[in-house]
Amino acid sequence: MPAALPLEELPAHIPDGALIAIGGAGLQRKPMSALRALVAAGRRDLRVISFLGSLDVELLLAAGAVSELHSAGVSLEGAGLAPHYRAARERGSVRFVEWSEGTLLCALEAAARGVPSLPTWQALETDMPLLNPWLREGRDPFTDEPVMNVRALRPDVAILHVAAIDDAGYAYVDGDLAYDGALSRAAGQVIVCHDERRSSEPRSAALSRVWVDATVHAPRGAWPTGCHPTARVDAVAVAAWAAAGLDATPAILEPSA
Amino acid sequence: MSTETADLLTATLAREIASSGVRMFAVTSPAAVAAARAARELGAPELALIVGFSVIDGSPVPSVSLGEAGLLTGGPTFRDEPGDVFVGLARGRVGVAATPAQLDASGRTNLSGIGEPGNPKVALPGARGLPDHRSTSRVWYLFASHGPRQLVERVDVVCGAVPPPGALRRLITPAGCFELAAGGWKALWLTTGGAELVASAPGLGVVLSGEEPVIDAPDEEALAALQLADPHGVRHIEFAEGPEATRLWRAAAEREAA
Repeated sequence: MPAALPLEELPAHIPDGALIAIGGAGLQRKPMSALRALVAAGRRDLRVISFLGSLDVELLLAAGAVSELHSAGVSLEGAGLAPHYRAARERGSVRFVEWSEGTLLCALEAAARGVPSLPTWQALETDMPLLNPWLREGRDPFTDEPVMNVRALRPDVAILHVAAIDDAGYAYVDGDLAYDGALSRAAGQVIVCHDERRSSEPRSAALSRVWVDATVHAPRGAWPTGCHPTARVDAVAVAAWAAAGLDATPAILEPSA
Repeated sequence: MSTETADLLTATLAREIASSGVRMFAVTSPAAVAAARAARELGAPELALIVGFSVIDGSPVPSVSLGEAGLLTGGPTFRDEPGDVFVGLARGRVGVAATPAQLDASGRTNLSGIGEPGNPKVALPGARGLPDHRSTSRVWYLFASHGPRQLVERVDVVCGAVPPPGALRRLITPAGCFELAAGGWKALWLTTGGAELVASAPGLGVVLSGEEPVIDAPDEEALAALQLADPHGVRHIEFAEGPEATRLWRAAAEREAA
């Protein structure tokens, strides 16, 4: 059974400089409580993987906690562009490694399988290798066809948020699992935050207990992002962040704010 | 943009999907969901909708919370591994609608930034799935405006490559519907005033014959299918700009939360 961690103990598992992978996608199932805990603990120089980022990336950037960001895209969806993300890229204040959705999945699969790289057709004939040193064009050794070699990317820790977890550690997600399965197989350690506990029904679980190292009970822990069926996106909070622009601070994302 | 024009563009996409023969369609926005659901009513009843990355046969409703609530309320779903989306893409079975920030005369796309690669003057959201469409047999680009900022001779950052020969690439804008052919983009039809919009974006390289059909409204069957698919008009968020877009998005989110 995975260890049950109190939220306040989570930062002890994530040192400064760690490569952390954040689960969810866009405005869905971001482990915001866990990220607030990291900010409160004063973490610095985090290397962050957020496949499709939103307020998760914004919070960490606004707190000055990030030195390197890996992502295929960051936005606030219909609420607009992500102000801190845009500024960080335009000012070059954070090392940004730009992925496509497919190549990032490939890099995580390489890590999960324990190989140094995997070939793909994705991103060929694009500028992506200029934006990402994990991508290198080459030739297939059997056919001599062009391939994009994608270097493995192995997170130290994956932090996920799901609707529910059972006593054995099976995780339950209603809806899109996004890249959480790939993150959990690639990461050295997997911490799963959850809104609630439920009775065990492994056949309907989205993530097996075998990938889960620790769980954190964090009711409404994805707020202001959504976590079906327990929470919808808090559009007011998202819009408030977008409207504040670069004046948006982590205090806006405190649940009591 | 007027709701009539927005409906013309979305209905055009629905007709395109329905007649394309694709088995799977990746929905990435409320308008794409509305169009894909309408396509089921317009001749593609078994069309599978890919939602997010682990659902390759869902029935989402147009929603601003596509990943979860919108996914689950419209019908049965089948969960699969994220990699299967890319298997479908590699095998040419998936159609996609996309809205890059820039599209060029050769069919390249950009959603990374304006300026040199890696040194953006204006940072955009990021490449997302554009680099993964190289093998995709059918891609429709849906643009809410037709102008020189978005439609250019060459994109600043190549996120999506020049498509392979024979791959279908179509562009739907307030100016009309265009197809990428061997010699560049060709107009299939124009709206009234479409010729002036085309002239405003010369970088795209569209040459008009003057004989293009003019279409200003969707056919009644397509419009009815669209309204059935998206009764709350969530699709219109995509065609609004600035504060109006934020207002519509917030109103839709609050309605869904209720």
